[in-house]
Amino acid sequence: MATILTPQATGKLVGKRVRRREDPRLITGTATYVDDIQKPGMHHACIVRSPYAAARIKGINAQAALALPGVAAVFTGKDVAALGPVPCGASLPGLRVPHHHILAQDRVYFTGHPVAVVVATDRYIARDAADLVEVDYEELPAVAAPEKALAPGAPAVHPEWPDNTAFTYHQEGGDVNKAFAEAEVIVKQRIISQRLIPTAMETRGVVAEWQPGDKALTVYSSSQIPHLLRSLLAGMLGLPENRLRVVVPEVGGGFGSKLNVYAEEALMGFVAMKIGKPVKWIESRRENFLCTIHGRGHVDYYEIAAKKDGTILGLKLKLIQDLGAYHQLLTPAIPTLSVLMMPGLYRFKNILADIVGVFTNCVPTDAYRGAGRPEATHGIERMVDMLAAELKMDPAEIRLKNFPQPDEFPFATATGLSYDSGDYEAPLRRALELVDYPRLRQEQAEARQQGRLMGIGLSTYGEVSAFGPSPATPAGGWESATVKIDPAGKVTVLTGASPHGQGEETTFAQIAADELGVDLEDVIVLHGDTAVVQYGIGTFGSRATAVGGPAVYYAIQKLKEKIQKFGALLLESAEVTFTNGNCVCNRNGKSVTLAQVAAASYRAMKLPPGEEPGLQVTYFWEPPNFTFPFGAHIAVTEVDRETGRVSILRYVAVDDCGNIINPLLVDGQVHGGVAQGMGQALYEQAVYDNNGQLLSGELTDYAIPKAGMMPWLETGHTITPSPVNPLGVKGVGEAGTIGASPALVNSVVDALSPLGVRHIDMPMLPEKIWQLLQQGGQA
Amino acid sequence: MNAFEYAAPTTKEQAVGLLADRWGDAEVLAGGTDLLSLMKDYLPTPKRVVNIKDIKELQGIKYSSATGLRLGALATIEELLSNAAVKKEYPALAQAAEGVSSPQIRNAGTIGGDLCQRPRCWYFRSGLGYFPKDDGGKDLIPTGQNEYHAILGNSGPAYFVHPSSLAPALIALDAKARIFGSAGWREVRVEEFFVTPNNDGDRETVLKSNEILGEIILPPAKGIRSATYEVRQKEALDWPLAAAAVALKMSGNTVQSARVVLGHVAPVPWRSQAAEQALGGKAIDENTASEAGSAAVNGARPLSKNGYKVQLARVAAKRALLQAAQGGA
Ligand SMILES: Cc1cc2nc3c(=O)[nH]c(=O)nc-3n(C[C@H](O)[C@H](O)[C@H](O)COP(=O)(O)OP(=O)(O)OC[C@H]3O[C@@H](n4cnc5c(N)ncnc54)[C@H](O)[C@@H]3O)c2cc1C
Repeated sequence: MATILTPQATGKLVGKRVRRREDPRLITGTATYVDDIQKPGMHHACIVRSPYAAARIKGINAQAALALPGVAAVFTGKDVAALGPVPCGASLPGLRVPHHHILAQDRVYFTGHPVAVVVATDRYIARDAADLVEVDYEELPAVAAPEKALAPGAPAVHPEWPDNTAFTYHQEGGDVNKAFAEAEVIVKQRIISQRLIPTAMETRGVVAEWQPGDKALTVYSSSQIPHLLRSLLAGMLGLPENRLRVVVPEVGGGFGSKLNVYAEEALMGFVAMKIGKPVKWIESRRENFLCTIHGRGHVDYYEIAAKKDGTILGLKLKLIQDLGAYHQLLTPAIPTLSVLMMPGLYRFKNILADIVGVFTNCVPTDAYRGAGRPEATHGIERMVDMLAAELKMDPAEIRLKNFPQPDEFPFATATGLSYDSGDYEAPLRRALELVDYPRLRQEQAEARQQGRLMGIGLSTYGEVSAFGPSPATPAGGWESATVKIDPAGKVTVLTGASPHGQGEETTFAQIAADELGVDLEDVIVLHGDTAVVQYGIGTFGSRATAVGGPAVYYAIQKLKEKIQKFGALLLESAEVTFTNGNCVCNRNGKSVTLAQVAAASYRAMKLPPGEEPGLQVTYFWEPPNFTFPFGAHIAVTEVDRETGRVSILRYVAVDDCGNIINPLLVDGQVHGGVAQGMGQALYEQAVYDNNGQLLSGELTDYAIPKAGMMPWLETGHTITPSPVNPLGVKGVGEAGTIGASPALVNSVVDALSPLGVRHIDMPMLPEKIWQLLQQGGQA
Repeated sequence: MNAFEYAAPTTKEQAVGLLADRWGDAEVLAGGTDLLSLMKDYLPTPKRVVNIKDIKELQGIKYSSATGLRLGALATIEELLSNAAVKKEYPALAQAAEGVSSPQIRNAGTIGGDLCQRPRCWYFRSGLGYFPKDDGGKDLIPTGQNEYHAILGNSGPAYFVHPSSLAPALIALDAKARIFGSAGWREVRVEEFFVTPNNDGDRETVLKSNEILGEIILPPAKGIRSATYEVRQKEALDWPLAAAAVALKMSGNTVQSARVVLGHVAPVPWRSQAAEQALGGKAIDENTASEAGSAAVNGARPLSKNGYKVQLARVAAKRALLQAAQGGA
């Protein structure tokens, strides 16, 4: 395994709070998003969508739309019947995969299902014309909740599968029956991780342009995965992949919702080829809510078994996953990630999990920040707290009792993972110290005496990150980097990880500048264009730095060998060291600069034996394992007895993401992550009525936290380097989200525990809490 | 949004001349924060939009201790919030303005627009009108998704709640609305400005289709203690679940007279005489405030899913009273 570089040991930039180089263009409004792209002759598309969650399409009449001046074309399902399908990249034994056409054929399966596309010379005409397309629907019974969909007699989402079951999945580790037989205490709870709407600031958008002369298509899309999108889109459209270019310009947030391949991406490609003009489609916010994937959607039945001293013996889970009407790219795989992480940070070795993947007449669920891991963490962290309550143990104590010790790593889990490195006590002890835990409990006791409802909630979370070794991922788990040095000695890094807000233009430049001994300003980082970057996997699952970073690092190591060889040639010396941006002769101390070496490598008057001219290396790095970041969050809350409102008095997050390349960016990721976890805990839920209409269909009805609603976040870090990669990094993109929701729910349950409250499902809306208070804790 | 004719008059006389004799043909545009989103949803589909923002006479805020406060209908909510005299003399109004967020909405939205904004009822906003019915002609709301609907004044046919959060404060402070039409000015108490519609073609105020709301006049507030308390689900981009505005005339520590107005509980801002009477001659403390809060929701008839709002209205009234009693005049 690679040696680990601690931040202190490396150069002048890695480990420093370097400001994001991306920000000036974002803040000054000079960044280019999909909607900023203009092309000569560009047309605009508007999609006609189903107002019903389930209906038969009896006919479509587009005459009135076509008659509107400016309308170029209307396409319906039959025009695109041969294209697609929208791909599902996940494979599970026995998985039922409905054929997902890019426009509905004779039936619609969820509200918002695309039925037709109108193309016009401007956006407004397209929108008006869409209203003129008459679709004759015969409404059918719909089902919009997973447990209802499983009930006998429920309407069948796909008539061919009347049980609405897409798959079942079973996993076992250790001997769970023995664990439960030997248990001195067993706690059971049904726990909901509600459907959430990812709500990226920028909605989706596509511009497609056909170059008839070259028989080539360029697709601009707001995506997290340009290369995978190209490969899959080529298949959907029947184009050779080398004639399809995907460009991802600035992306205004993805959170997993753009880790996908959508019908509209293929549809715009089709339209551009058909009309011979560039075409743009920008998703409205309402469409974004209705038609971009949702996240979570679990109903979980947990049972935890333990000894009286708090030693956890085993965990059982029955997981009902609301899949929605179709499988998007990773839909059925997400709950399997929950199962992988169900032991959390604890040592017990006996688990049993059964997943039922359920079709509903709703938009598909898929990866949303954390993707399976927030659900798992929420489950285990709630169960551990409930167990502590049952045993009258302190929640910190029960956790400390069940962690594996640092010398037990790599730690083999009951679900077959190998946790790379960890010191799980460290962040918990640090967080307890930051809040002054004993004093806080004292304060709580005093508050209770005064009749105040104050709660302290802990969560110690772990996650599987840095997806991942290729055999364990659907599409390859490596990442690529190309590092080139131009003849004047300036450095260009190309990364296949398509960062879209995370800041790798800064962190990868920090790594490259330190390794090559040049200034940050001398390095640029390019990404997101399949014509520029050879191939890549993308940014998701907290992987960009932990998989893409090492690719950059290794590319540079190879490049350095070449630099030294050219340096040796110039210095006419056999022993040359490349250090601080110069090649230095070990014997006489003479040196040449990187720029001189670069110039000579391109001028190529002389070449080192066996070397090509130029300075460029591409490296595909295959990680040997996932990484496993962890941490501890503590939330202090108070509940208003009369209104049920929760206020967050303090929030402490101590994360361990291995070595830290840029503490400023790590804090930013934690802040954003906690905001999203807090959104789930307190405010957000996608509400469908019984007919499959999305009631929380706009931002006034779907409550995401705003800056003013955030508590002051106190962050801290412990550093346990990962042995998986040479940078010792683990990934931090999802940590905050994963840690936050259980900390907050545990805190509010703690606040209400004097009234006998044992559990609250998210979101903890004031009304729900007030009802609990009314019923003396029994709901 | 459908195409429409656009007019931007500079006098109030021109404006009313451009309006139509019946609702639906023309709409008044002020800040547009509500009207434009309504038009995007094809709720009103006016043939003409009359932008009144250029009418200088209806802008601005003026205060004098002798005559009180004059709010131009076109003054923005932000102007209201940042006005020192309003903060000092009419805290209930300043507190209500503060609740309207985000800053973008406060900067664009006008006081007149706030009072004339259309219901936020999600059935109404989905194009089902004031009185959505099922296939059998039965009202949908009483057994439907009525979490945010009326608990008072809801014996039918309307179940929505009036969305203005400035209105309760204005009513508590005894404001008058001045309305301009082809026959000149007319004046009504803000309390009487709001009406419950009976037909889908009606509106929620006494304005006629060819009138505009011109200004709001508040009497001097010497010796009045006032406050607004709102309960919201989130702190931004949201309307209160329930709110109360109160104004107290005190003699020493006891209440001489009180005005208690609940917001977001009925199709009109809801003045509670029962709560007002419960306070007469009493000092305000936890108990009396609590009793008045309960009196305020006396007779509330929650629908299937909004019983919680009764509690919130009760608490809002109680807390507004305690806040007013503590605050200065
Ligand atoms: C996300 C969000 C949150 C909000 N939260 C709150 C809140 O908490 N509390 C609250 O009270 N409001 C809230 N509002 C509503 C906001 O205050 C109103 O939209 C705004 O005050 C309307 O003013 P405007 O000038 O933009 O009106 P416009 O949108 O221009 O007009 C609104 C309506 O009033 C009519 N109109 C406007 N002015 C006149 C006039 N002078 N005479 C006759 N008719 C007129 C228009 O024809 C139209 O029907 C919120 C709005 C949004 C979008």
